[in-house]
Amino acid sequence: MKTIIAATWQEMLRRKMLLITLVLTLLFMGVFWFIADTIALKGQSSSDLLARFERRGATLGLGFFFGGFVVAFLAIFSSFSVVSGEAEQGVLQSVLTRPIPRWKWYVGRWIGYVSLIGAYSLLLFAAIVCITAAHSGMTRDYGDMAVSLLLFLVAVPALVSASMLGSCLFSGIGNGVFMTMLYGAGWLGGMVEKVRSFLPVEPDTEQTLSRIGALLSLLMPADGLNRRMQYVLTQGAGESIPFLTGGNPPSNTFVIYSLCFTLFAFVLGLWLFKRKDL
Amino acid sequence: MNVIPNAAMPAVHTQGLSKIYDNGRGCRNITLTVGKGEAFGFLGPNGAGKSTFVKMLVGLVHPSEGAGSLLGHPIGSLEARRHIGYLPELYRYPEWLTGEEVMKQHAGLLGIRGAEAKIRVREGLDQVGIGRRGSDRVKQYSKGMQQRLGLACALLGQPEILFLDEPSSAMDPVGRRQVRELLLELKKQGTTLFLNSHLMEDVEAVCDRMALMLNGEMIREGSVTEMLKVKVRWRFKVGGFSPVLLDWLREESGLRVSWAEPQSGKADADVGDDWEKPVWLEAELEDENQAGRLNALIVEQGMTLYEAYAQREKLEDWFLQAVAGRDQRGERG
Repeated sequence: MKTIIAATWQEMLRRKMLLITLVLTLLFMGVFWFIADTIALKGQSSSDLLARFERRGATLGLGFFFGGFVVAFLAIFSSFSVVSGEAEQGVLQSVLTRPIPRWKWYVGRWIGYVSLIGAYSLLLFAAIVCITAAHSGMTRDYGDMAVSLLLFLVAVPALVSASMLGSCLFSGIGNGVFMTMLYGAGWLGGMVEKVRSFLPVEPDTEQTLSRIGALLSLLMPADGLNRRMQYVLTQGAGESIPFLTGGNPPSNTFVIYSLCFTLFAFVLGLWLFKRKDL
Repeated sequence: MNVIPNAAMPAVHTQGLSKIYDNGRGCRNITLTVGKGEAFGFLGPNGAGKSTFVKMLVGLVHPSEGAGSLLGHPIGSLEARRHIGYLPELYRYPEWLTGEEVMKQHAGLLGIRGAEAKIRVREGLDQVGIGRRGSDRVKQYSKGMQQRLGLACALLGQPEILFLDEPSSAMDPVGRRQVRELLLELKKQGTTLFLNSHLMEDVEAVCDRMALMLNGEMIREGSVTEMLKVKVRWRFKVGGFSPVLLDWLREESGLRVSWAEPQSGKADADVGDDWEKPVWLEAELEDENQAGRLNALIVEQGMTLYEAYAQREKLEDWFLQAVAGRDQRGERG
């Protein structure tokens, strides 16, 4: 399995996927630095604490709005053609006739993607938090910090598992489109929830929007996890910026659902792959 | 199918092996045995089901029915895959890797590491003629070079059974010859070869036995010489020949001598009234003695014998005859 994991890292490095992402992330961080600086309250008055708290939330919201998208697209576009694409190209045929069980190949690829994108996500999280802290200060509650980091990272295996499952079912390009739309649906679910929270509507309409938002978030929980993560990290301050982190934060049940979603997608993908004719 | 390996165990054995896809394609009820060290050729038109059958043997496709074993181990099992090398028909290696890196990855999958892997990779690349170009990225390789790399990967584990699906289809004539010589060498070393090929001369030169598949079914199987066993056709280029002499020649020799069309490159003979012009005669003969007798009769009658040669049936002719008149599903539905 080590060979498969190493081959996955080698692929991501050689195809310059990670390099391009890192360079663009550095550029974004430069821009984000100025944004954070602009948003931050200048001066050190204790009466500004509430405003400072809100502005920190806004800065983090903007940072993770970008961060959520980048991690999602990196996870999707690095793994969307892993099974069908390699089978179409004939790469898999020469590998899977070697004396290795199919499950090892699948798990090796999964670990390869999750570990590398997870490491990138960790760096991204740290960069966004550090830049925000430099301009607007940061909470010293390391427990919240750790929980929000975990929530940010949990989106990676969810996306990779769904993407690999899709590549067992659809062609490479087809799965790329499918996964982008699935992620888009989850993101839309979050947006519906945010719109509901600040739009003055009748209670019935509000309830319907809430249900639609929840159902869409269940299709792909990555964006929901991001919203929950921001809620924990900003300690609720994000609610004051409706289009970024407004609306009710996803519940603990949603987080558990996300873990079950990941496990289900992973196991189903593995099961399909073992039975797939190549 | 649990089979216990032993010395007498065939290299490849299938019993009613079938794969039926949803569209009805695939292959049906293939029962086949290939002995250890044997070179077996698998022929058939496009879409006949050859690749599907080989993919079942190497564990890439799950059979719908039947069973099979490689050296006594059930097909698709890890133990069976430990003994094989496989060159797929349609394949590409990751373009971002060098040839050496591709080989190293495959060595890792085979459990070959360290110094041994290095040696095997180097030897393998040299064996197929890639040599120093092993340090180039695969994207810089021509199709022929990629096929050589595929062959090197297939040979990396020093397999007891080598499955080759069109091993030299993308190569130039020099490459094809090198591959053919390599296969003959492997055969000499005792490797069992299972060759899927459209290149009849490869099958004819390398294989001991062969089978013909059509529309998913195996319609013929036997030794190459047996399958091609026909009377040898002799051709004679004769000058000063008269049509009236044909009956005499038939009577005297007791053989079925007939006019023949000139072959390409030998177009100066014709049947006509011009007695001076050489003509081609043809006869199916059992041995060279009969050819000698016919030569003597021609010369005895004052005719001039310019040329005589035996024309063996080529596998390609046999193949075309075998599938002639049969419905073929081809590559389309």
